[in-house]
Amino acid sequence: MIDSLEAARALDDIEDVTRRVRRSQIYRLSSLMMILWGALVFVGNLVTYLTPSYADKAWLSVYVLGIAGSVVLGAAEKARSGGRSFDVRALLAFVMLFAFGFFVEAIGHFGPREMGAFWPIYFMLFYCLAGLWFGIAFTVFGLLVTALTLIGYVSIGAAFPLWMAFVNGGGLIVGGLWMRRG
Amino acid sequence: MDAAGLAELAELDEIIHQPLRLRIMAALNALPPGTGLEFVRLKKLTGATDGNLGAHIETLARAGYVTVDKAFVGKKPQTTVTLAAAGRAAFARHVAGLQEIIAGAAAKPPEP
Repeated sequence: MIDSLEAARALDDIEDVTRRVRRSQIYRLSSLMMILWGALVFVGNLVTYLTPSYADKAWLSVYVLGIAGSVVLGAAEKARSGGRSFDVRALLAFVMLFAFGFFVEAIGHFGPREMGAFWPIYFMLFYCLAGLWFGIAFTVFGLLVTALTLIGYVSIGAAFPLWMAFVNGGGLIVGGLWMRRG
Repeated sequence: MDAAGLAELAELDEIIHQPLRLRIMAALNALPPGTGLEFVRLKKLTGATDGNLGAHIETLARAGYVTVDKAFVGKKPQTTVTLAAAGRAAFARHVAGLQEIIAGAAAKPPEP
């Protein structure tokens, strides 16, 4: 027989473990997406730095492959955990995110350098927000990449895309690997 | 009826009630039915040690609350633990029992 204090402690324990499991599932899927986007963004920035005339084509490929890959990863993870295999909301969320980004880019008349800074900071905003619900790691990562992006934008000249390849692309890969470990 | 009476009535499962087994069951219960957790992940999520976790999983498996699958992924052995239907039902009863105890204590009139 146990008293109400012990019962409350047991229920707290259950809640704590449940929260950990849910967070670990979110980290698992996010880490895969971060590694995917990290690799693509790394290549996109590298192409922009080495052959600027191909930058547009490279970034279009990055976005198409990134969205398609994210939807496939999401579907695979859901199928693995017994959920629905295709979440149309995930696809629509990506489409809306990119649509809003392109809209801002158009009305702001951004040049290549501004775009190189805008997109990572824009996406890192969502990492910062996600951290408020799903774990502080997202927020720390978002703030760190944003700070490094701004430092590069202000202080690095022609090598800014190369800087972003490592800060944004490399950062996403390292962040994703770290989340997989955790 | 006082709180002690309610606690006696509450359906607590002695197998699940052990703290580490409770954490194991809670972790597996948080997943969709039929989905398991690898031993290494379960160890991390529950904060258990290897030997400790193995022994408690065995107790739960003997009770029919979990199933244990051993397979090779590449050259590495991988053990996956999944909550059985009986385990899910027992865990739900156990949680209801705990909530009953707390509700009973809250309903108890203050001592004179």
